[in-house]
Amino acid sequence: MSENLLTVSSPTPVTYVEGRQRPSTSSRGPYEYVLLAAASLFALIAAYFVGTVIWRAVPAFREQGFGFFSNAMWNASFDPAVPSQFGSLSMIIGTLITSGIAILIAVIVGTGTALAISFLLPTRLRTVAATLIELLAAVPSVVYGIWGLVVLTPWFQYTVGPWLAGIPGFAWLFGTTAGGQCYLLAGLVLGAMILPSYVAIGREVINSVSKELIEASLSLGATQWQTLWKTVIPTARIGLFGAGTLALGRAIGETVAMSMVLGSALSTNYQLLKPGATLAGWIATQWGEAQGSSQVPALFALGVILMVVSLSMSLISNRLVARQRRAATL
Amino acid sequence: MTTLPLDNSHHIREHLRERASATVKRRQFVSRLMIALCWVAIALAALPLGDVIINLFIHGWASVSSWAFYSQLPAQPTLFSPDAVGGVSNAIVGSGVILGYALLGALPIGIGIGVYNAESDSRFAIVLRLVVATMVGAPSILMGLFAFGLVVVQFGFGFCILAGAFAIGTMMLPVLAASTEIAVRNVPATLREAGLALGAKKSTTSLRIVLPAAITGIVSGAILAISRAIGETAPVLLVIGGSQAFTWKAGDFGQALPLMIYQDASSSYPAQRAQAWGIALFIVIVVFVLSLTARIWANSKQKERR
Repeated sequence: MSENLLTVSSPTPVTYVEGRQRPSTSSRGPYEYVLLAAASLFALIAAYFVGTVIWRAVPAFREQGFGFFSNAMWNASFDPAVPSQFGSLSMIIGTLITSGIAILIAVIVGTGTALAISFLLPTRLRTVAATLIELLAAVPSVVYGIWGLVVLTPWFQYTVGPWLAGIPGFAWLFGTTAGGQCYLLAGLVLGAMILPSYVAIGREVINSVSKELIEASLSLGATQWQTLWKTVIPTARIGLFGAGTLALGRAIGETVAMSMVLGSALSTNYQLLKPGATLAGWIATQWGEAQGSSQVPALFALGVILMVVSLSMSLISNRLVARQRRAATL
Repeated sequence: MTTLPLDNSHHIREHLRERASATVKRRQFVSRLMIALCWVAIALAALPLGDVIINLFIHGWASVSSWAFYSQLPAQPTLFSPDAVGGVSNAIVGSGVILGYALLGALPIGIGIGVYNAESDSRFAIVLRLVVATMVGAPSILMGLFAFGLVVVQFGFGFCILAGAFAIGTMMLPVLAASTEIAVRNVPATLREAGLALGAKKSTTSLRIVLPAAITGIVSGAILAISRAIGETAPVLLVIGGSQAFTWKAGDFGQALPLMIYQDASSSYPAQRAQAWGIALFIVIVVFVLSLTARIWANSKQKERR
């Protein structure tokens, strides 16, 4: 779905008729001004976007100081004598755990799937599979949320959870009690969610590896897997890394599905069968009761963390995919 | 007296052959194993995705196929009438109105940015391209925060449909801009040059030649943006307030389809959960139909041109 959006930063200069001077900026007509106005408006909106989110968060940062990052408490105080305590530590760790599990799944399963679609499926099925993957990438996250909550949570609570909790020697990882909504389930649902978009871009990147290279590898006597592992993947690695970064950015910013399958609990116990919270999910679950209180700036401050992380991810992934594309066309 | 084997090259060759065939066998085994794992990966990918689709139909079909789902307002089920959930007419209208306003604002601006980025190579355009590419990946909940800060609080509109439309529209802008830019860039340079060579002004060439040639790409991008916007929950959750009443006015509290899924999915009444599944199925069908239509239309247009 979003693979078309990634070519933006690989500009090809507009070509003009030979011998004709480039129109100078002074010869702008009304049409050029309309375009410039749209562009300027967007620049203004983008600046306001960043500005508003940061500005609304300032009171919370000022009040909490560095404790906002190192504290795991979230107590809104309604008594003016008692200061509120807002700390984002457990949301940050919760986000890291869930998106870590998700990206692991997406990269391992997704790369295998992309390779299988590009090289193993019968030619006629390849377009069908690619179309299906792109359609699935458009399924809204709230749909994965209801699926996780209604279908998977009971299954986790009564089947998977007790089994994992009973494995001797892994209590430090899973804990000893089974829960429905938990980090592990959230990570798995998130993995399934970001998989289609990773595969959609990954498949495109893999397809851009030149046929000659693959045939050369095969004709040297390399097996099918050696060709994939030692020729295709190294050639496509920058693009695959970009696709992974993009998927990770989506995982970090995912909101409603996370608040549905992870629950909303703040604790310093990060065992995988415990409920927790992510940055985005916590904003959504607290939003209703936060209105009119000092919680709102604190939730905006969570948004600032989210914005810094996801925008830099987005920037990196764009650069990487664009670089891969340039390398492929040269 | 035993004769020393003066020429043992035969043995060496034999030995090498054995070792080589062992290596080849091992490599082939590894290759088969890993290729099999690739098939496992595709099965693992298909499993949850298939399960989502199957569950959507199992739980949601009854709602989607009943008329009340589209015509009635939602009702609160009680212990005595646990199945009285009504329909979602207000949310369908709410989602439609939000999308309508969002498109009204975002379509012209988004296409304008895209054309500007494709046709200009000023320093501003270079920066703008970077901003667009970065904003495409911004989490949607941030647009909710933005709309809250700007429209709800700063402009003083309060929670309302308009704020939701603003959040969704802001989300669509970079998507539209990026897809338009690509579509315009994909128009062959010769076409533009032909227009300019005939003496047409730059704006005429752009409006009459380049944009019509790029229209499939622009429309496909718009449909992609729409199908993403229909299911967006987080931004509308923060700013539209949520209401059970029927309204299409921009200043009122509103309701949207994905927001109802979010609220009803954890209901203790099975009928209300079924309704949430119904909405989910409805959205997925709309999204699939939209993207398939766009794809088929774009393909047929492309064939026409050839």
